[in-house]
Amino acid sequence: MMHHTSATLDPATTPVVVACCRTAIGRSHPDRGIFRNVRGDDLASAVVRAVVERSGVDPATIEDVLLGVTQQRGELGGNVARTVGLMADLPFAAAGTTVNRLCGSSLQALAQACHAIAAGAENVQVVGGVEHMHHLPMESAIDIHPQAFARSSRGMLSMGLTAEQLASLHGIPRRRQEEYALASHEKAARADDAGLFDDELVRVFGHDEAGGLIEAVRDQSIRGDTSLEAMAALEPAFLPKLGTITAATSAPVSDGAAALLVMSAGEAARQSLEPLARVVGTAVVGVPPAAMGTGPIAATRKLLARVAPLGLTLADIDLVELNEAFAPQALHCIDSLRLDAAKVNVRGGSLAIGHPLGASGARIATTLLHALRDSGGRFGLATMCIGLGQGIAVLFERIER
Amino acid sequence: MPAIERELETLTVERTADGFVLLTVSVPGHRQNLLTPQAVADLSTALDDLACGSAPRGVILRSGRPGSFFAGVDIARLEELRGRPPAEIAALCDRGKALLARLSASFPTAAIIDGVCLGGGLELALACDVRVATAAGHTMLGLPEVKLGLLPGWGGTVRLPRLIGPGPAVELACSGESVAASAAQRLGLVDACVPADQALDTACLLLTVRGDDGSLAARRLRMARPVDLDPVEREFLESTSAAVMLGRTGGHYPAPPAILQVILAGSAGTAEKASRIESAAFAKLAATPVARNLLRVFSIGERNRRDAGVGDDNAAATIERAGMTAPAIVGAGIMGAGIAASHLRAGFSTAVIDLNQDVLAGGVPSILEEAAWDRAAKRSDPSRAVELAGRLRVSTVMASIAGADIVIESVTERPDVKQQVLAEIEQTVGPETVITTNTSTNPIARLAAGLADPTRFCGLHFFNPVRRMTLVEVVRGPATSDRTVATAVAHAKRLGKCPVVVNDSPGFLVNRILMPYLHEAGELLREGVTAERIDRVSRGFGMPMGPIELYDMIGLDTAFYAGLVLSAAYGDRIEASPVIPALVKVGRLGRKTGAGFYRYSGAGQKERIVAVDETAAAAIARYAHPARESSDRTIVDRLFLPMLLEALRGLDEGLVRDGRDIDLAVIHALGFPAFRGGLLAWGDSLGAAEILRRLEPLADLGPRMHPTDRLRGHAASGRPFTE
Repeated sequence: MMHHTSATLDPATTPVVVACCRTAIGRSHPDRGIFRNVRGDDLASAVVRAVVERSGVDPATIEDVLLGVTQQRGELGGNVARTVGLMADLPFAAAGTTVNRLCGSSLQALAQACHAIAAGAENVQVVGGVEHMHHLPMESAIDIHPQAFARSSRGMLSMGLTAEQLASLHGIPRRRQEEYALASHEKAARADDAGLFDDELVRVFGHDEAGGLIEAVRDQSIRGDTSLEAMAALEPAFLPKLGTITAATSAPVSDGAAALLVMSAGEAARQSLEPLARVVGTAVVGVPPAAMGTGPIAATRKLLARVAPLGLTLADIDLVELNEAFAPQALHCIDSLRLDAAKVNVRGGSLAIGHPLGASGARIATTLLHALRDSGGRFGLATMCIGLGQGIAVLFERIER
Repeated sequence: MPAIERELETLTVERTADGFVLLTVSVPGHRQNLLTPQAVADLSTALDDLACGSAPRGVILRSGRPGSFFAGVDIARLEELRGRPPAEIAALCDRGKALLARLSASFPTAAIIDGVCLGGGLELALACDVRVATAAGHTMLGLPEVKLGLLPGWGGTVRLPRLIGPGPAVELACSGESVAASAAQRLGLVDACVPADQALDTACLLLTVRGDDGSLAARRLRMARPVDLDPVEREFLESTSAAVMLGRTGGHYPAPPAILQVILAGSAGTAEKASRIESAAFAKLAATPVARNLLRVFSIGERNRRDAGVGDDNAAATIERAGMTAPAIVGAGIMGAGIAASHLRAGFSTAVIDLNQDVLAGGVPSILEEAAWDRAAKRSDPSRAVELAGRLRVSTVMASIAGADIVIESVTERPDVKQQVLAEIEQTVGPETVITTNTSTNPIARLAAGLADPTRFCGLHFFNPVRRMTLVEVVRGPATSDRTVATAVAHAKRLGKCPVVVNDSPGFLVNRILMPYLHEAGELLREGVTAERIDRVSRGFGMPMGPIELYDMIGLDTAFYAGLVLSAAYGDRIEASPVIPALVKVGRLGRKTGAGFYRYSGAGQKERIVAVDETAAAAIARYAHPARESSDRTIVDRLFLPMLLEALRGLDEGLVRDGRDIDLAVIHALGFPAFRGGLLAWGDSLGAAEILRRLEPLADLGPRMHPTDRLRGHAASGRPFTE
């Protein structure tokens, strides 16, 4: 339905992204996190408000708000997509739903909004995600049925252990993981220094270490000054003594939000809006929980098969945003899909920028679309691994403005 | 009312009006229902009967003893397996399994589980089609075999993964931990969890409904087939479980990895094949020295629970002792606070006095915090603390303990102060009150000197931290009466401790055996063996931490003062090492000052060793000895043989009533590896003759390495130390 070649596309059912933005990503740290005193719903409200303003969309045409959140409780509980719509002064007629596909939540929000457009259902929609891993830690207030472990094992709850398993099965040594993480930081730091994130960032307030109010305009976990020596000194984070993965090769727990505005190509034309990209296709897939890190491999293959009429191969994809949960997990996906490393996470990945679970899908889509715009590339792929064994992938085609 | 069809020695067969047969088991002669040979024979007989008569709608197995379904097999029977050939042991397993298999061969069966359901008891329940647990606090289900170095040998590793999945099965069987009825239901281990008075109706309902809808038949098929486990998940389960186990056991315990392998291998094939794998693995594990040692340690613990502290093993029933209800703790320092907290935890209303208002004010919050400690949450429960505060009475006035029936004095270790406080206590309390002192170094005879009635006085030596350390030394002075000892022992047990009665002697038992080990570590350092190496070898032997780390944890100043007492008493073999005061002089007191032998970073849980402290190393270098041969084996011999020799000297002196108390004490108080069975059992694993050979090249180190007559006697006779 979404994968015809451009010439045959029906504008009424072709989903396009008109605008996208994100907050800086903060560390989830009780004393140092820039968003430690800022509510997650405030962050979400800021990006929803910004994406509407930046796009120039007529707010009265917005039909739905879809936000991905993994910890839907406390300040992000009670269908936060609706309360965020109310806080962001959207018309009452704009509905709201909160979706959960764990780490893939906001990519899922984007995907299902596009499905609605393709189906001729809701058209103009704000999608995005938010997570505040300091205020709402991922381990607390859940009670997973032990019978869910009957076909797997309790270890599946530890993403770090599943990544250790990939490292061990596929022979990804610690040094290679650290070189990868270092490159992620270096790319992100270079992009940051060059101001490449400026267009996608929404200026929100946070707090510095002294407690004073600051404008949060820098991703807090990016470390341009880190080194292989510093990384080598760290203790394994998940398997004492035996493990290869450390804090440096795991995505930092983070706070942040991101949002995109989607509608049909026809509606964009009607409102005289200039879309950034069309969404070519989406895919989700399940894999064994113990191999959750391989989700992007299966999802990407499934997506390419689904858009087969386009005759695309991975070689035709100009840029890839592969969410970095753990260095060996990302490396295994790159190895298995034989991705060209020069196309992957060109502005650094989540190991450096941070991984606010429910927001990350919208965050990598936002970064991808800006990088695609700046590079003049055509096709961009965003893909993520998902806890308990899933993968999600979304394929974009840039539209010349 | 069901009609009684047959009464066997341990089992009653009844038939209900609607056609269910009830098998009610009560095994006499034990605290709990045990799977004794008689119980097994009776069950077999009952099943034979049922096979002949008219087919029952269903058979329901339950216990006639409240609070006890089946606590497993009789440990004494397990001890009989020692030395039997593996094929014979495997055949024994198979015989039990054949009986259990009959429970899911024809008519539908259910087990009603009320009370403990452990080991063979759980395997019996697993062999039934349906399990109903009572929602009672005493209902606990588990497979503790791993704690005895064994695996479940009656189909537990076969049925469990088929019922609840291999991952949860590995968790349950490899940890040996029990789960409550509600958790068992969540796991799928039992089909229902209901109040006890509903259990029979529930079992009948489940048998009827599930029999009718075909799910019982489907379950029987599932229990017979291979487990459908994704290969990726299988590999992940294997590698993560193996890594976790290695971290927990240091590779010293063969049972957990064996259970993992048995479950994984058994899951891949049919139940029949899995059963053969299990029997063979059981026989192999049963023959390991670790299983023998763990079984022995278990028996020693059981003996300790029965031991009255005076007389022989059978004296418990006849000995006079009072049940104490009004404890008072004098002194609210670290030890006093810990002791008070353990009383509150055990449910006692407790008086705490300290003549120093500031110490008392500082002690109360730590008493309540520790007493309200929630083990599961790893933090103190504030509402529990408020609750417990109502049972804590504090005062700065001695007169306020006048009504106490047992007093535990735990003021500073200075003998003059202790004597004065004890005399005041005696003048304050009634004539029947038992008076005890918590001391690690002061002879009881000396502290008793100022008392009018020393017969009611003994030592009650708790270890730090009181919450974690289960061992308590009950120190018997020359004048202490049997009643006083038995009362102190009974009281310590009510606190959940393992009391060991020790005669008055410098260092009592634990510190006396510990000191040669610490002393030798210091000597090894002076010979140029690195601290890391000494600690690594000790940990490799199975100690929870090495002696140098232990020095730093105890505190070098504390070790110095304790060392003075011991070297004064045993100077021929334990000279006060100059290294310790040298470190104290340069401010290296151990962890509490951030540096001792090692430098430390972080605090609390995150505290860890950074490196050897250079100042300490320089201080040691000034007292260097010439280097000696120092292979890992020699280091083990040097650290542990002097401990064994000291234990043998203690036995010569009648320091304890039974050698088993030594092994219990070193395991509980020093962390001596349980898989070695204790110090004396470790000695037996070498043999007295071999020990003599190993001591020979060490003889020039002095009297501490010289064999005792008792050792020579054992070498000559070949008798084990543990006999």
